[in-house]
Amino acid sequence: MSALAKTSILTEEGGNQCRKRSLPSSEQCNKRSKTDDMSANEKKSNFSLLNPNNGTIKTNTSSMNKPGAATKKLIIKNFKSKPNLPENYQETTWSKLREAVIAIQTSKAIAYSLEELYQAVENMCSHKMASQLYVNLTNLVEAHVKANIEQFLSESMDRQVFLKRMDDCWRAHCRQMIMIRSIFLYLDRTYVLQNPSIHSIWDMGLDLFRHHIAMNTLVQTRTVDGLLLLIERERGGDAVDISLLKSLLRMLSDLQIYQKAFENKFLQATERLYAAEGQRLMRELAVPQYLAHVEKRLREENERLLHYLDPSTKWQLIHTVERQLLSEHLSGILSKGLETLMDGPRLSDLTTLYNLFSRVKDGLNELCNHFNAYIKKKGRTIVIEPERDKTMVAELLEFKEQLDHIVNTCFQRNDKFLYSMREAFEFFINQRQNKPAELIAKFVDVKLRAGNKEATEEELERLLDKIMVLFRFIHGKDVFEAFYKKDLAKRLLVGKSASVDAEKSMLSKLKQECGGGFTCKLEGMFKDMELSKDINITYKQHLTAMKEGGGLELSVYILTMGFWPTYAPVEVRLPIELTRHQDHFTKFYLAKHSGRKLQWQATLGHCVLRANFTQGNKELQVSLFQALVLLLFNDGDNLSFEEIKTATNIEEGELRRTLQSLACGKARVLTKAPRGREVDDTDHFSFNADFTNKLFRIKINQIQMKETSEEQKATEERVFQDRQYQIDAAIVRVMKMRKALSHNLLISELYNQLKFPVKPADLKKRIESLIDRDYMERDKDNPNQYNYVA
Amino acid sequence: MSGEDCDVDRGDNDGQKSDKMFTLKKWNAVAMWSWDVECDTCAICRVQVMDACLRCQGESKKDSYGKQDCVVVWGECNHSFHFCCMSLWVKQNNRCPLCQQEWSIQRMGK
Ligand SMILES: [Zn+2]
Ligand SMILES: [Zn+2]
Ligand SMILES: [Zn+2]
Repeated sequence: MSALAKTSILTEEGGNQCRKRSLPSSEQCNKRSKTDDMSANEKKSNFSLLNPNNGTIKTNTSSMNKPGAATKKLIIKNFKSKPNLPENYQETTWSKLREAVIAIQTSKAIAYSLEELYQAVENMCSHKMASQLYVNLTNLVEAHVKANIEQFLSESMDRQVFLKRMDDCWRAHCRQMIMIRSIFLYLDRTYVLQNPSIHSIWDMGLDLFRHHIAMNTLVQTRTVDGLLLLIERERGGDAVDISLLKSLLRMLSDLQIYQKAFENKFLQATERLYAAEGQRLMRELAVPQYLAHVEKRLREENERLLHYLDPSTKWQLIHTVERQLLSEHLSGILSKGLETLMDGPRLSDLTTLYNLFSRVKDGLNELCNHFNAYIKKKGRTIVIEPERDKTMVAELLEFKEQLDHIVNTCFQRNDKFLYSMREAFEFFINQRQNKPAELIAKFVDVKLRAGNKEATEEELERLLDKIMVLFRFIHGKDVFEAFYKKDLAKRLLVGKSASVDAEKSMLSKLKQECGGGFTCKLEGMFKDMELSKDINITYKQHLTAMKEGGGLELSVYILTMGFWPTYAPVEVRLPIELTRHQDHFTKFYLAKHSGRKLQWQATLGHCVLRANFTQGNKELQVSLFQALVLLLFNDGDNLSFEEIKTATNIEEGELRRTLQSLACGKARVLTKAPRGREVDDTDHFSFNADFTNKLFRIKINQIQMKETSEEQKATEERVFQDRQYQIDAAIVRVMKMRKALSHNLLISELYNQLKFPVKPADLKKRIESLIDRDYMERDKDNPNQYNYVA
Repeated sequence: MSGEDCDVDRGDNDGQKSDKMFTLKKWNAVAMWSWDVECDTCAICRVQVMDACLRCQGESKKDSYGKQDCVVVWGECNHSFHFCCMSLWVKQNNRCPLCQQEWSIQRMGK
């Protein structure tokens, strides 16, 4: 049972006591307040009709009556010595009072002054006639109340008329009782207070009204049914007499029959109404409209509570509405509408959904489950279809941002939803192996490449942070690393990196996320670039010292094998001049670094050529392959494809693309015969002496071969080979630190450290291999335990 | 350096061969260095010699560029291993793990 229910019991008890002892006149209260420390609440009378707030006060009064009454006896001071009374004093005085009461009951003028009547009551009480006076008064009131029942019993009566008449009767009763009590006030103050078992005059009136009118089965049924009908019509949208409703419900409360006679029936009617309405509207309305309707219903019922229902009904009433309109339809609402709301996104509807669902048990759990399923389903469609690869990362970023926004603004940043979102992302993004990792790497490449003017540095930084969020979900982090490395190599070697700061920032983000082991090779690439700069300076100094400078300026990037992506070695025929420069540098380098060998990467070389056209000199920025082809034209013109191929030894496909770039592209420094966009084996090429261009420095782009799926496969394969080493290294690292470890603990440590998905069987294989190689051994006593071998 | 190299360089000087259609001014070449070994893999730890040996990888020191610290060593037999791996090996057995010749260092990588 809830605290609410307990309170309502208290209320009832309090109400009872209060009524017995209620002291309607403020004069009385003032007197009392001198001696008791009364709360202000108690000063208020119990007259519902006069004081619309009385319903809320009941709970506060219960404890105060008894002590107040006790003190009361001590301070009564209108104590007079009894005068002698005339013989028939009691009869004559009573008949005077009786006449007055009947005048009040029949709305006639009273023949005596109120002061006189009041005095008469006081005198009678002072002469021990109080008890008889009370009995007489009770009989008088009872007779009148009894007589009132007739008007409610006629066979057929319009409900509205009936209710109105009941209200009139009730109001009249209250009015009369107030007046009667003001005359008999002295009786209430003395006799009633001294006799705890006697009702106050007001309560006596209520009691009689309850007994003779309200508890009459026919009258009660008619009243309650009439009220329910009015409420039903109001719920249906009709305008009804709210004050009538309010007055009659208050009457039921005052008569202590609100709960028994009305509330249960009312709640049942409510339940029936909303059960049917929920079923019907779930079919008829779209979810946003349905939610709006539920909100409206809840608002209306709360207003009903404010306007006419007893506040004690609140919990049950609201709970009933919530149960029938929400709890019954949780998954119905979500399966019907969540997807549309999320897709919109219809933020205000989602907020409504969240707020409503948070009201009912399991509401948020259900919402969160559907939210999770939605992310997984939608996310899967983003990553799974190869046609969408081009936009995958952008879509993922947008999707994530939208979900963040929804959780932040509509779902009150509820942690449960945040965790669920992360779980869902991690789940769906790994539904497709490798590709998301690859595309995220490429996305970063585009953003870090020079010429990307889309973003300021701050914007770029923010974007990188967002990308890191996606990266975090990827299981195969090494796949990302492999593709990232390939692009980073290109940026570094071609000088295409937009900003060193941005590169370093991305690197430190990766390091923070995955540890130094993950980024040490990437950092090695940057280090190689710096070391190369130093080597080239030293080489230049060496040439100057040897008096060998001038002419061709050679600079070399020396890359550490293993740090960089693997490039297939390509053998081309260099002009003797280049070979000599190359050999010269090699000798210089190996003299400084013994035990090393150099492998020249012709595909990565770049050159600056000075070209001598009829219209003037130009400077051409070209690839080494382009340069090799162009240099041939110094010694002969009109060369065939075959001749060029033999002279340079460039692979056929590569040569075709190279010639295309020189003779068919934007800057045609060669002419091709016959003309055409494709290069055939039989084509001939000549120097285009008439070449013109308004620029002095011209960059002729090498036509890039589309990254073939084989290349991609090769990158992936290398990743998988690398994984073996990484597993080995991780095992050694863990064992070195722990010295001895059980199999299970070792495996779980490894899962923490490895940045890619791996099966336990694979780990076991690597452990066996390391045992073979004496890195570790099985414990002699416990075969499930490994010991590190130093 | 022989005089020939100088001839090549000087022959390319500005102005002297302006009749040439193309003159190479600048060459940005790329070369990959690796240890000059017969076998890529260290027979002791079975990691490529270009990578740090397993134990050094395990250290995963911050700001270390991996193998710079973990160099290669060649024996007189011309077999090569990680220096770290070999120093541990010779404590137990002073022979080359591949050819069983007595181990003596021919040179170290640098
Ligand atoms: Zn080794
Ligand atoms: Zn080492
Ligand atoms: Zn050997």
